[in-house]
Amino acid sequence: MHSELLFGKGVKMEIRFKLNDRQYTIETAPGENAQQLLQRLGICSVRKSEEPSGFTGSSIILLNNKIVNAELLIAAQLDGHNIKTVESLSKKGGLSPVQKALVEVGVVQSAYNSPAAALVITNLLKRKPDPSRKEIMDALSCLFIRDTGYEPYFKAVEIAKERFKDPEYQGFIAEEFRSDLRIVGKNYPKVDGPQLVAGKRAYVEDRIQPGSLVLKMMRSPYAHAYISSIDTSVAEKTPGVAMIITYKNCPDHYFTTAGQGYPEPSPHDRKMFGQKLRHVGDRVAAVVAESEKIAYKAMRRIKVEYELLPTVLSIEEAEAEDAPVVHNGDIDFLSGAPDNLEQMKQGFDSRDGRIIYPFPIGADPHKNLASSVSNGIGDTEKGFAEADHIIEREYQTSQVHCTPLEPHSVYTLIDGDRLVIHASTQVPWHVRRNIARILGISENRVRVIKERVGGGYGSKQDILLEDVAAFATWKTGLPVFYQFSREEEFIACSSRHPMNIRVKLGAKKDGRLTAIDMKVKANTGPYGNHCLTVPMNACSKTLPLLNCENMSFDVRVFYSNIYPTGAYQGYGAPQGSFALQTALAELAVELGIDHLELIEKNRVGEGSVLEILRCLGEGQEGAVVKLASCGLEKALDLGSKAFAYGKKEESSDPDIKIGKGMAIVQQGSGLPGLDQSNARITLVSDGSLLVHTGGADIGTGLDTVCAKIAAEILCLELEKTSVVSGDTDNTPFDTGAYASSGTYFSGNAVKRAAEDLKKKMLNYAAELLAEPESGLTLEYPGMVKGSKGGLSFHEIAHKAESGTGRGHLVGHDSYTTEDTAIPYGAHFCQVAVNTRTGIVKVQKYHAYMDCGTPINPELAEAQVYGGVLKSIGHTLWEEMKMDGKGVCLNPDLKSYGVPMVGDIPDDFKVKFVQTDDPFGPFGGKSISEVSTNGASCAIATAIHDAVGIWLRDWPFTPEKILTGLGKL
Amino acid sequence: MFPLKSYEKAESVDHAIQLLQDNPEARPIAGGTDVLIRLRDGKTGYDHLVDIHQLEALRQIKTDEDGTLVIGSGVTFSMAMESELIREIIPILSTASETVGGPQVRNVATIGGNICNGVTSADSASPLMALNTVLQLEGPRGTRLVPIAEFYLGPGKVDIGQQEILVSFRIGEKDYKGYYGHYHKYAMRNAMDIATIGCAALCKIEANQLTDLRLAYGVAAPVPIRCTNTEQAVIGKPVNRDLIREIESLVEKDVNPRTSWRASKEFRLQIISELSNRVVTQVIEKAGGRIE
Repeated sequence: MHSELLFGKGVKMEIRFKLNDRQYTIETAPGENAQQLLQRLGICSVRKSEEPSGFTGSSIILLNNKIVNAELLIAAQLDGHNIKTVESLSKKGGLSPVQKALVEVGVVQSAYNSPAAALVITNLLKRKPDPSRKEIMDALSCLFIRDTGYEPYFKAVEIAKERFKDPEYQGFIAEEFRSDLRIVGKNYPKVDGPQLVAGKRAYVEDRIQPGSLVLKMMRSPYAHAYISSIDTSVAEKTPGVAMIITYKNCPDHYFTTAGQGYPEPSPHDRKMFGQKLRHVGDRVAAVVAESEKIAYKAMRRIKVEYELLPTVLSIEEAEAEDAPVVHNGDIDFLSGAPDNLEQMKQGFDSRDGRIIYPFPIGADPHKNLASSVSNGIGDTEKGFAEADHIIEREYQTSQVHCTPLEPHSVYTLIDGDRLVIHASTQVPWHVRRNIARILGISENRVRVIKERVGGGYGSKQDILLEDVAAFATWKTGLPVFYQFSREEEFIACSSRHPMNIRVKLGAKKDGRLTAIDMKVKANTGPYGNHCLTVPMNACSKTLPLLNCENMSFDVRVFYSNIYPTGAYQGYGAPQGSFALQTALAELAVELGIDHLELIEKNRVGEGSVLEILRCLGEGQEGAVVKLASCGLEKALDLGSKAFAYGKKEESSDPDIKIGKGMAIVQQGSGLPGLDQSNARITLVSDGSLLVHTGGADIGTGLDTVCAKIAAEILCLELEKTSVVSGDTDNTPFDTGAYASSGTYFSGNAVKRAAEDLKKKMLNYAAELLAEPESGLTLEYPGMVKGSKGGLSFHEIAHKAESGTGRGHLVGHDSYTTEDTAIPYGAHFCQVAVNTRTGIVKVQKYHAYMDCGTPINPELAEAQVYGGVLKSIGHTLWEEMKMDGKGVCLNPDLKSYGVPMVGDIPDDFKVKFVQTDDPFGPFGGKSISEVSTNGASCAIATAIHDAVGIWLRDWPFTPEKILTGLGKL
Repeated sequence: MFPLKSYEKAESVDHAIQLLQDNPEARPIAGGTDVLIRLRDGKTGYDHLVDIHQLEALRQIKTDEDGTLVIGSGVTFSMAMESELIREIIPILSTASETVGGPQVRNVATIGGNICNGVTSADSASPLMALNTVLQLEGPRGTRLVPIAEFYLGPGKVDIGQQEILVSFRIGEKDYKGYYGHYHKYAMRNAMDIATIGCAALCKIEANQLTDLRLAYGVAAPVPIRCTNTEQAVIGKPVNRDLIREIESLVEKDVNPRTSWRASKEFRLQIISELSNRVVTQVIEKAGGRIE
């Protein structure tokens, strides 16, 4: 940005400093911060992450060889000093030993903080060439890492340390799988790792061109209100304001923010702006202006009058007889309208807008019922009658947040007569569909480019800002950038649905279950995005773990005025798992049976028929599954031995009690019957490969999965295989990165496309070699071999593209399926509870995971660490606090309580239990989501084992422990 | 952008005072970890800043001829951690410094800033309270020496004039010689977290008798406090289990914690008394006392 634009008419000063060994003399204004100055000089690796306290470390630089936050430095404070950024590490274009090690161990995933991590570790190793674990922890304590759980960083430090002494050093990275394969199951550097760890342009914010407009959102100060008047006339006259959008001039189109396949199982219950405000932070007006400063100035000039309404915060309040109605608008159905529709919408208030249901989801919005479903197998009443023992327990989960480090971001612009959206999204195609519909244009005029995503975890499955930026660009013709503030990440994002789950279990004396009943009540908050599917998943990813003839569930979901909810890694399963698995542990104690024995008696295994899945489809009939692969047996065996499960441990400190706990977990691999992926692979002129996949790699390594599968099948070096993905113009359709679908769906699509290309190559080679196709094989690297001769891929490609050739060779295919591949796991933990301070320390946590064949072992492992640490965070510390009026008290990462490196278990381990799934690509199933399902039940059980109290609501704070122990 | 109207870099303490005199709206900025966060949060009163961060005069750590330990207000927590002198004379401050933020905070945040922002959760405050630290302030009218307990006027309020600069912390030999100290920060998480309760204690033991005890807390009241009633009641008593129990029950009367969304008053009280037990036990043991 030009300095005039940056500073306006203010005092300027000249400063001199050295940046990455180059001397600079720069003009700055008093208020410019060092991070902005560096951005201005083209250093995009120093990122602000919108966290006011500098807590995340993303803006870390070296100032006179000391680690400091550039965000919390006035640019003028750089005067006379020596500054280094990550660019100083890879001056010759290659990666430094530390950067290489970070890529190798698989922690460069969402990568927003990877450049900072490289700098911090390099600085540490300069100061302490042989650092202790404590010293490494202290160095890493300035970095917020959400995706990979910190543990693999210790390995990276170890490898980098040795490399400084011996550049050829090869350290242990992660266990490898499938010795019959060359690339799949082996540790190869993530394909986008080098770019990301070097801090190159990669994210939405790196695409902004000079002259772009910024968008800032004015948000509701009230949890429930009507806008009785809004006057933007004065604000609009503010010089530099391009446009102000309110409910009065926004498109009259209802949609859901949930990026789900069409027709969505979520109600279309919102417009871009509504007259009704349903949560603190709901959209009131968007100001589009030449600068942030102008936008805020104009915002202060918007005059709004509100008619306040009584608020509904809890499920109890929402379901009360005379509760205030959150969605009191008109109601419509695109299909399956119920007979009592007229009665249902009676007395609607037009200020509430409308709700349009693509199909029925058991809702009754004027009673705050957002969705409901109940079903089951067998006869639970009979099952309970047959039981020797019945327990009934209630569990409560809190509203926890995805907290991606890169805030939600979008950059929109016009190219010719088309709209281009640079998005940080998990669902490029759903974004395209929704934006086209909202703008009332056809989809060919919209291009969505998924940039590198600095953390999604579910929150970027929702379309939270693309609509309004796109509309502003479409109307003004100008490029618009919109990025959430950290506060918006908390108050206008998606989070875990708070749930209240009652579990009733009936069992024989020996522990065999005779009946299970789950009653789930969930709070969807102001809108119904994912309101059916997340709460249902509390049952559909937990009940199928158990063999029981009689199971029933009842799910009721309510609207309220809390902050929005939505998708979050695990998608309802962590809540359901907490309830059901903890209830099983409680049952074991009551029956006096060993916990593991109870699990063993009731769990599913290979060959089990999952009858319950019949009634667990997402808004449609589900398919019964005969379980093709399940690693639970081995996982439980390994875990119980490593923990001496059941053996009591004593602490030398009389105030500290030690306990052990465990849980079994599952997830799915995408949504069979609903999801679809497509892929196209081109044999490039020199015989290398270009893979086009619609899959949205959100940092998880999906591009690497796709590259590896293609290279494996086509017998080529991984370095000669490139992936283009997630661009609606240039890659084929894909439903997106959610429901753990990447490896299974996008991976299978690439596998089929590779097989298609292989067939075409062999067919053409047969013609060229004048040999029968059946006698030809592909041979590594890049050869077709026949009985007499052979051809290199280069020769085949060259011939195909020549004047006499067959045309360039492209393999393509799509993947849909009815087959289910379920990842499993057993999580074990050991905690130490201080009975005087209430502190729970997770001493040991092991996750034994079955994701079939881990295609990228080191990336999968790092992801499991990340998933586990997130769920430990949800269990022990994280909680969004609200006052009685629905105002969030802690909308920043630090006070919200995300775990940091100091909070990881002392003994933290991930181990894969390999199974060969017949449906997954090379036997691969999903990973990541499944790893978030175990911690709360394992920790609750361990706390009980230690001190004899059951904690049934998140988070398990020291205060709750001391209250439980009768000390408060 | 920070909403700043002016920024000036001081060349010396006198220059800083002059700059503050020249502009009645100006305030000093040291490491900036608090001031700049406040600025970003839209807090007013920070439009004009005088930067004193690089002043060498404020970064000294030394002992005077009379044995007084002098720590410049511009000493960062990293410097405090690395200082051999501090570790030798008052290791309690080294320990407290280690608990601050992460390295990126400790590398810039200064002890002077930590005290001048007046918050009760400041990790350096309770150790400095226990050490009977005296603050040396310089202003247009010369030097003022203020005991730290008198420096705190209320939450976020300290006894410093607009034209004054906190120059150093002075700890007399009588306040450290023969004393053993310990600081414990109770926080929900292990790094980059604010203290739920911070507890510092110093003691002297002779013939297994407690000849002196200084017990100070952060977040146990609106400002950092000393538990003077408890101290007076137990000084001179023999060291044993009963003494620890007595301290544990007495401290509650010296403190005044509040309920906030972070923790309830009852919970803080439990932690306060628990920490008195742990920290006092530890300092007694360090001092060679035997708790029988």
